[in-house]
Amino acid sequence: MPQGDYIELHRKRHGYRHDHFERKRKKEAREVHKRSEIAQKALGIKGKLIAKRRYAEKALMKKTLLMHEESSTRRKVDDNVREGAIPAYLLDRDETTRAKVLSNTIKQKRKEKAGKWEVPLPKVRPVAEDEMFRVIRSGKRKTKQWKRMITKATFVGPSFTRKPPKYERFIRPSGLRFTKAHITHPELKCTFNLEIIGVKKNPNGPMYTSLGVMTKGTIIEVNVSELGLVTPAGKVVWGKYAQVTNNPENDGCVNGVLLV
Amino acid sequence: MVQYNFKKITVVPTGKEFVDIILSRTQRRTPTQVHKGYAISRLRQFYMRKVKFTQQNFHEKLSTIIEEFPRLDDIHPFYGDLLHVLYNKDHYKLALGQINTARNLIGKIAKDYVKLLKYGDSLYRCKSLKVAALGRMCTVIKRVGPSLAYLEQIRQHMARLPSIDPNTRTILICGYPNVGKSSFINKITRADVDVQPYAFTTKSLFVGHTDYKYLRYQVIDTPGILDRPFEDRNIIEMCSITALAHLRAAVLFFLDISGSCGYSIAQQAALFHSIKSLFMNKPLVIVCNKTDLQPLEGLSDDDKKLVMEMKAEAMKTVIGQGGEPTDEEGVLLSMSTLTEEGVIAVKNAACERLLNQRVEMKMKSKKLNDCLNRFHVAMPKPRDQKERPPCIPQAVLEAQQRQAEATSEKQKRKLEKDLEEENGGAGVYSASLKKNYILANDEWKEDNMPEILDGHNVYDFIDPDILMRLEELEKEEGVQQGLEADDDFEMDGAELTPEEQSLLAEIRKRKVCLSSSIGSKRALLRADQLFPGNSIKINNLLLKEWGDNYHLWVSIRVWRLIVPGVSLGVVKGRDPLIGIMTVQ
Repeated sequence: MPQGDYIELHRKRHGYRHDHFERKRKKEAREVHKRSEIAQKALGIKGKLIAKRRYAEKALMKKTLLMHEESSTRRKVDDNVREGAIPAYLLDRDETTRAKVLSNTIKQKRKEKAGKWEVPLPKVRPVAEDEMFRVIRSGKRKTKQWKRMITKATFVGPSFTRKPPKYERFIRPSGLRFTKAHITHPELKCTFNLEIIGVKKNPNGPMYTSLGVMTKGTIIEVNVSELGLVTPAGKVVWGKYAQVTNNPENDGCVNGVLLV
Repeated sequence: MVQYNFKKITVVPTGKEFVDIILSRTQRRTPTQVHKGYAISRLRQFYMRKVKFTQQNFHEKLSTIIEEFPRLDDIHPFYGDLLHVLYNKDHYKLALGQINTARNLIGKIAKDYVKLLKYGDSLYRCKSLKVAALGRMCTVIKRVGPSLAYLEQIRQHMARLPSIDPNTRTILICGYPNVGKSSFINKITRADVDVQPYAFTTKSLFVGHTDYKYLRYQVIDTPGILDRPFEDRNIIEMCSITALAHLRAAVLFFLDISGSCGYSIAQQAALFHSIKSLFMNKPLVIVCNKTDLQPLEGLSDDDKKLVMEMKAEAMKTVIGQGGEPTDEEGVLLSMSTLTEEGVIAVKNAACERLLNQRVEMKMKSKKLNDCLNRFHVAMPKPRDQKERPPCIPQAVLEAQQRQAEATSEKQKRKLEKDLEEENGGAGVYSASLKKNYILANDEWKEDNMPEILDGHNVYDFIDPDILMRLEELEKEEGVQQGLEADDDFEMDGAELTPEEQSLLAEIRKRKVCLSSSIGSKRALLRADQLFPGNSIKINNLLLKEWGDNYHLWVSIRVWRLIVPGVSLGVVKGRDPLIGIMTVQ
């Protein structure tokens, strides 16, 4: 016991004060009322936070109570019944489960077959041109309107050389260029920060693909050499496709799922 | 001068609280109104401000944490080592490092998102970017949650460390467990350390303060040390080792010569020799404790030899300081904390030697030379042999004398307390409550006063105004008698016939009879008149007759006593036997 622990020292020497436990009990008993008062009075963001916390607590409590309660739903047959001793009307059920398993395997197989061409986000919202581009006026009188600035996140390869700015039709602002993406491996269930190699396909059109625009649903190629994946032949895979799952221009980062 | 006050470190909030604090502050202290119709530059500015503001707050809070926690390399090595022993330096540094990284990360995030916000082209996009920025900042803080929790625990513990000043005059008490270190500090300071009859009662450093020669000394009680290799020592022992290693203090090595602590003198001597390198250049006193169980002289020869060896070692430190080799005083002392024999001697010896050493060190230091040549204590030489006493005027002397007399007189007054002392002290002497009564005659003071007489409360019958009323009645009586006399005079005519005269006589007789039996008051007042000469005789008779039976007793004041059925006595004045009469 260090020197500063005067309360502990006092308790060690003289014990608790006579009504300590009584007070403690009362305080605990009063606690719920106090909390409810606060919860009722809290306004604004504080009120929302409190409500959320209390709701979570309540839900958790209900869940635990339910777990401990004797379930009224039907359960499996008792264990002490000998195996094989199933009444006739239940024989039917066994078959159905077997049938289910069968159908499941078929489905699985079909899925695997189709899976090669399936992507996590099969449908995307079409992006209109005027959403994608901003018109930039140029010329001495600012009358010419043939320049466009891309308002979405883009990938620009390291070897890219600009055309002379005067004749550059599409401007890809450097602030919106991304070189890395957070890619989740769906089977490993973990996310890696991987380098982008290129944009494979933008669902909105081949022009965007060639410009390297990354919108939601775009397939990009990423460098997976960090993951150490190997082909069945034993070669190290370094480039793999991934699909962008977020709106990079809104989130400030590129998130995606690896296509395996 | 660095102050070692760890109590001032601000509270470190947990990760969740941290986020709540910062976000609610952003909500409160930045504008909240925004509309779609605003110019895009205004929208961008609105959200950029939020991101920047949040980052600034995070930065501020994290910086206070980093700055307020002491850097172990910068503080006094004693504290540096103590904190290392208690909290593990690596862990501590790692936690602070993580906080620092978090601060930098948040700075980077804010920078990135402000840059992206510049390209925002709608309210929705700007808002999404702001949400993403704040979210990422909060995630960073959430990740360092464990470090924050650890730092908060350390902060609480550090605030309760005893405030030891490593540079002041210090006495350090060390020795095996259970040899009486804590008892000793309790004797010489008011530290109030817990003393128990088992080993390792003291688990951390305790500090107390004592006085010697008007100087304050800091006394540090350390946990017991066992004699084992340095690596095996636990945290509790390491506390004492740290204190021994880094504090320039007078060391008291406690030796339990009775062996009742569970360790023999040989073991204790072994410990002494194994840690003697820590005693270098420090005044060392070997204290033989528990002499009430085993006096120093009664030790066996082997043990005595061990003690003498230790003494010889301790002497070396004296010589190392440049002291006289023959100066044996205050190196080996014996005492008993139980009987308090020799406790003060030990304290004085330690303080004295520490003081000497510190003074010597100061004298040797270079700094002092700069100051020393500026000091000069002037002692004027007497120019001749003449005495020159102070001159006090005669009047002043007299006044002083008078004042002295006055004060002495004041003190002469005898108090009840003095009386008590003279007459046998408390319990024997009983103060008389009656002696300060203010009465007409001092002799009455000691008279007994009945409170209950024959089942009546005497006080009910006291009438303090009796004398006054008596006078009034007498006056009234006088007036009536005067009237009667007038009547008599008128009626005493000689023109009455003998028959009439006889009737008159009859009437008068009746009147006298009536008046004598009318009321008690009237009758009482008549007492003097009816028995003018022999009233005393009657009273004496009455007293003789009733005195024994009724305790008719008359006291200082005027009492009116009713004796059931027979008599009504009235005493007035100071003579108890003035007027009593009977009334049927």
